[in-house]
Amino acid sequence: MKIREERIGGAVICFLEGEININNSPELRKAFDGIIAKNEKKVAVNFSGVNYIDSSGLATLIEMFQRLKKIGGALRFCNMEQKIKNVFEITKLHKLFEIFDTQENALKDF
Amino acid sequence: MHIFEKLPSRLEMIPPLVQAVIEKLEKSGLSKEKLFDVKLCLDEALVNAVKHGNKFSPEHHVEVEAEITGDSLIIQVRDRGQGFDYTKIPNPTEKSNLEKNHGRGVFLIKTLMDKVEHFDSGRTIKMVKFIKNGGKK
Repeated sequence: MKIREERIGGAVICFLEGEININNSPELRKAFDGIIAKNEKKVAVNFSGVNYIDSSGLATLIEMFQRLKKIGGALRFCNMEQKIKNVFEITKLHKLFEIFDTQENALKDF
Repeated sequence: MHIFEKLPSRLEMIPPLVQAVIEKLEKSGLSKEKLFDVKLCLDEALVNAVKHGNKFSPEHHVEVEAEITGDSLIIQVRDRGQGFDYTKIPNPTEKSNLEKNHGRGVFLIKTLMDKVEHFDSGRTIKMVKFIKNGGKK
């Protein structure tokens, strides 16, 4: 998995590429650690390059959601392929997370 | 088609094995959507077997068997652990469980596969996916 960060306005966008699985979830957690350490509170994850996610990936995102919530921040997701979105819908995590179709919409009023 | 693999109880060995099995299944007639489901379910079953079943024991392997019989893909994953009560798995989609960072593996398997059975006190999970029409998309 490749992880790239970019600042747009007041938010940090995390662009993910490849698979999010049990082997590389720790890398994602480490990237999130870095974002939290910089005291960023508005974080968006762009899933356009993600072709697979397992339950360890979901767990890593839940942890980030909780960490941001604790410091008054927020986590938003965008640009998910339908098969990835299905995983969130099956597990009902689409009710927990804010998921937007486009990055533009994710950043609106953020 | 018949696949039999033995996996050491190490998490880092799982994605390459899953990928190898999926590559073999690509010619089986399963749609891309169904292959995605199979990959996720095999992945989750293997993680459970390595982590909760064998508890990462270097002395125990996890066995994976996959075969196509008629219109069905049948995958069995076996560990050498103590088993578990598969009738008492909390529903991760309940509001009180939604923010938990574990407990989604078996739920995903049961939702995405067409038939799921447990044997040998939970040490073996048998997952079936219908290849052609019918079954879950």
